[in-house]
Amino acid sequence: MNLEHFLKSEAPGWMDDKGLDADIVLSTRIRLARNLEGYRYPLSFTEQEAKQIDGVVSQAVLNINNDKRIFSHFTIKEMPLLQRQVLVEKHLISPLLAKKEKSASVLLSSDETISVMINEEDHLRIQCLLPGLQLLETYELANKLDSHLEKQLPYAFNESFGYLTCCPTNVGTGLRASVMMHLPALTMSKQIKAVTQMLARFGMVVRGIYGEGSENLGNVYQISNQVTLGKSEEEIIDDLQNIVVQIIQSERGAREALLKKSKVVLEDRFNRSLGTLRYARVMTSEEAAACLSNVRLGVDVGIINDVPLSVLNECMILIQPGFVQQYAGTTLQPAERDIFRAKLLREKLNVNRQSSMEKGEEKYDV
Amino acid sequence: MICEHCKDRQATVTVTQVVNGQKSERHYCEVCANKFHPFNIDFHKDEQIPIHQLVSNLFGLPVWNNAQEKLQATTQKITQCPQCGYTFRQFLNEGKLGCSQCYETFSNKLPQVLTKIQAGTKHIGKSPGRPTNDHTRIKKQIETTREQLLLAISEERFEDAAKLRDEIKDMERKLERGGVDAP
Repeated sequence: MNLEHFLKSEAPGWMDDKGLDADIVLSTRIRLARNLEGYRYPLSFTEQEAKQIDGVVSQAVLNINNDKRIFSHFTIKEMPLLQRQVLVEKHLISPLLAKKEKSASVLLSSDETISVMINEEDHLRIQCLLPGLQLLETYELANKLDSHLEKQLPYAFNESFGYLTCCPTNVGTGLRASVMMHLPALTMSKQIKAVTQMLARFGMVVRGIYGEGSENLGNVYQISNQVTLGKSEEEIIDDLQNIVVQIIQSERGAREALLKKSKVVLEDRFNRSLGTLRYARVMTSEEAAACLSNVRLGVDVGIINDVPLSVLNECMILIQPGFVQQYAGTTLQPAERDIFRAKLLREKLNVNRQSSMEKGEEKYDV
Repeated sequence: MICEHCKDRQATVTVTQVVNGQKSERHYCEVCANKFHPFNIDFHKDEQIPIHQLVSNLFGLPVWNNAQEKLQATTQKITQCPQCGYTFRQFLNEGKLGCSQCYETFSNKLPQVLTKIQAGTKHIGKSPGRPTNDHTRIKKQIETTREQLLLAISEERFEDAAKLRDEIKDMERKLERGGVDAP
């Protein structure tokens, strides 16, 4: 499969709107870090080692191609910067991998749910992404691939430390499970701070979706486990699942409370945001993210009825700089990006309105 | 006087160092002194400072001055990983290890770091080449079957209950046989 397939301006497979609790949980991600015995880690290895690892791992992954998921191999060095950025924004590769100059590469499954990053911080990182809250399913997917690969690859493993990784924060299971959640009501009612503190106590971390430092852009948070050693995979996943379920409940509670207290204010806010998205001519990513979050909440609580969640999911991805530039077909200055971003959003949100009006009932299944 | 470091050139620089109230003097040539000069090292450190502090805070261990480390390196032997050449100091500074061999090399020092950032120092969970967590899976299964058993008894479905009881026995036997190496 060629790279174009993975660059098209659509929401990736993991942003389907059919997952469980899909109104609050956008996606579930599982990452397994693995290294090969006998090679130094990417921060200290040679170009030659890098090439060998790339060769062995790619071969092993391509060997297990089945009909359902076909993997394609891409070398990072050969990709233009903009294309790398688009893959990062789609969460198919990590920002670190995108910057790599030594033989780093990625294997992507055709449905974009699995990506195997080679020579990132560790020799290989298996990543699986599914829509909604599906921790067990996503882990099973990653685990299956891992079990296939371990038959062909000499994993670096130690009885007491488990799977060995470059950073000791990953050693043991090498498992990082994260759940991306849209928590506007908890944010609005300022309860999110308490939630974050509670999470820290349980060994969990909170990040923004658009990477480090974008803490609550668009009210989307990524919650993941911190501990990888001394707990089994099942425990890690169970603990995260329990915490996420609790957060979902408190978010729902906060939504109800907000709606009861200030329905008109919220209605006004949601519709203003929708109006901004449909008619604005200049739009920064911060404003776009905030408006999309408002509209999304409006759809979730049934105040806005003519915007499908899938379109909102898509827009959340499309407002990022890489996508905006790809849409424009050229690299842009930040100010120019804001103009193209507004245009892109107008198109997405208005086209949909026309088609929904034409098709009538069909589109009202939100 | 000859330089203490290269033992080749004439020593023209005297470095006086006070460590824990103990004064020591060293004599270097200009070339070697430049390498050890605090200003040189400071330049390097500049870009690393955030990571430095982060890692040292994280691990709760002091990060020594690079100058001291380098001076030490010349006088006393430091354990170095045979495969990648990493030292434990280097690991503390960067927070990363160089290769899988490092875990062996530093196996006596790593646990004190791991206890600070992890839930334990011993891996429990999947191992390559072994069925994944059969042990815990069976245990869980037994628990759920027990619940079903209680339910069956309370609803007076005694035939079902007998079946469930046998299932539990089977699973417990399996657990005893297969769970020798389990914690």
